[in-house]
Amino acid sequence: MATTENLSLRERATKPRPAFRLVPLLEPRQKVGETRRIAVYAASLGLAALLSVLLLAVSGVPPSDLGTEIAATAFSSPRALGSVLAQMAPLVVAGLATAIAFRANFWNIGLEGQMILGAICATAIAIFDIGPEALRLPLMMLAACAGGMGWIAGPAYLRQKLGVSEVITTLLLNYVAFNLLLHLLYGGWKDPVSSFPHSEQYEAVERLPQLGWQTLTWALPFAGILAAALWWILSASRLGYLLDLLSANRDMARAVGVPVAGLSLAAILASGAVAGLTGFVISAGIEGRMTQDFHVGYLFNGVLIAFLGRNHPLGVVIAAFFMAVLVQVGQSLQVFFGTPFSLVRLTQAIFIICVAGSEFFLTYRMNFRSAS
Amino acid sequence: MTFITKTMLTLAAGALSLTGLAQGAQAEFAAVGDPKPAIILFGPTNDGGWSQSIDEARQTVEEELDMRIPQAEEIPESATAIRPAAELFIDRGSNIIIGSAFGYSDTFKELSEQYPDILFINPAGITNGPNLKSVYGRTYQSQYLCGMVAGGLSKSGKIGFVAANPFPLVNWTVNAYLLGAREVNPDAELTVVFTGAWGDPVKERAATQALVEQGVDVIGQHVDTPTPQVVAEEAGIYATGHHRDLSEFSEATQCSSVWTWDKFLVPEIEKIAAGEWEEAPYGAFLGIDEGGTDVACCGDAVSDELKAKVMEARDKIISGEAPVFAGPITDRDGTERVPEGEVLSDADLWAMDWFVPGVTGGE
Repeated sequence: MATTENLSLRERATKPRPAFRLVPLLEPRQKVGETRRIAVYAASLGLAALLSVLLLAVSGVPPSDLGTEIAATAFSSPRALGSVLAQMAPLVVAGLATAIAFRANFWNIGLEGQMILGAICATAIAIFDIGPEALRLPLMMLAACAGGMGWIAGPAYLRQKLGVSEVITTLLLNYVAFNLLLHLLYGGWKDPVSSFPHSEQYEAVERLPQLGWQTLTWALPFAGILAAALWWILSASRLGYLLDLLSANRDMARAVGVPVAGLSLAAILASGAVAGLTGFVISAGIEGRMTQDFHVGYLFNGVLIAFLGRNHPLGVVIAAFFMAVLVQVGQSLQVFFGTPFSLVRLTQAIFIICVAGSEFFLTYRMNFRSAS
Repeated sequence: MTFITKTMLTLAAGALSLTGLAQGAQAEFAAVGDPKPAIILFGPTNDGGWSQSIDEARQTVEEELDMRIPQAEEIPESATAIRPAAELFIDRGSNIIIGSAFGYSDTFKELSEQYPDILFINPAGITNGPNLKSVYGRTYQSQYLCGMVAGGLSKSGKIGFVAANPFPLVNWTVNAYLLGAREVNPDAELTVVFTGAWGDPVKERAATQALVEQGVDVIGQHVDTPTPQVVAEEAGIYATGHHRDLSEFSEATQCSSVWTWDKFLVPEIEKIAAGEWEEAPYGAFLGIDEGGTDVACCGDAVSDELKAKVMEARDKIISGEAPVFAGPITDRDGTERVPEGEVLSDADLWAMDWFVPGVTGGE
């Protein structure tokens, strides 16, 4: 019998098809209910957990032990919850910074550079003891905002006036900022106590105070308040409504009288300011000084969290919590089972891909129809 | 890491006896019985350099002391990541937590205060306490010996050096390297390029290539990757390595400055088991035979005569007969740094912001 390849077009056209064949047909969903959304996310998490357990079982970690060790030890103790929340705080702020820019269709890939400038400006206030002690922290906060805004202002201007891609400019400015950081830390700003390359330790008045539970500082409530404020602005205020119009259709927004240029600029600068605050939260709320590598990894985590959280402040908080849990579980796997980090990273990736992929099932309805 | 600034020394000399304080504090710490170490590793176990040297020492210690040492790798230098890893180990019964990074210093200090019954050891750290010891090696000793190899192999007398960041513990390897080279070849000159990063293969390649174009015929290095060796092999010149024996990456490697952490950790853990562990107010600053950096020497290009010379110099460094930074040493700007008959102090080593004559670059 002739193979399919050897058939002429005519023969192929007249060749009888299999009697019954299912063809997936994609239909965009008009509206997605909350119940369905939650169910889809839960199913994706379940699938990811199943795949991860299978993968780990193949590598020699018994699933029953996974249950007792991870579930019992890593999640039930207050200390484990404390460290998840501590890791979550800067991730929330980083995710918010990215989400604001993405809302205005500005692809800010310069989070780390803006974080560094934020930390540098805040640290300047701390090192030179600027302002009365009672106002030191608010001043550092303002300085961090100014630093982050200043670093994003250039790319914003270039994008709006000359149409230069912000993906390139914000990304490249990360390297400039990092070299500026090294220049300061290996030069004039090195620790006067040890002459090692990190800034001097912040004094007590220059640090976010302890919450009094576990090792949490005010970094967490700070992130929460920021998320709530941005939620209000983006979801309930007139400004948020106009921004939604703008990101949905720029020309239409301009036609109906939305101040497009001013509004995007405001959103971009706000993104830079919050990025600067991320640097402040890490320096003043976690490390107690400006270190060399405090910013490492936040760019990708910020983009990921903004994406998973659908650029929504509440979504960002949930996604940041999810990421912090993944990190915590990854550490537990290494400590409890000696799992190599590459495998840990693989399981983390499985979770992220499953959650990200579930978006597809929310956007489309899949209908299987008989092709015959 | 032994760490002394001049100010601290002056303070120590003028104030109450530090040893008295140390003993008082040590009395509080005696709880570790059966040692159960765990390692928190900064990089991946196969980074080819710093982290791998600690992972290899872990395997030796496990064999020699017949114990299993759990380990968590790729823990970044951030308090939010270090603390949970350490606490998970402590919850599981570990009583010695071994770190691996300068950036762990502050968090290890906090943890050591919070867990007085747990012992903390941090290679490359700078904080110390009653139950916390930072450790580093006298890397200038092994780099001096590799410098001798470089001096002996160089025909042009022009030597290149690829270094990470310009601060004391890198500066001293640069200076020692040229001092070693001049021991063999008094006219040797050295050009150093700082990449500004501990592990950046792209910058290291560019730096090495630039040095090759300037006509150097041996490359020394103090970075975290074997890139300079690889480029040296491509250019048909020689190189020396740092952290581990880098001859596995490139045949150009004729000598390597290699960490020997097991030589420190085995006796240290035995001391802990015997209840004889002692606090060190300035940490441990390990010499070539104490678990610091030794040399993996030498490659095929090194003559027996040169090798014998290097080994003789090694013996004299160990015996204290011929220390690396023995006076008279004047820096390249003409300032006297070590007078005749004296040896550079540890305090001055940790503050080294100068270069010896013959070093170009690093301004």
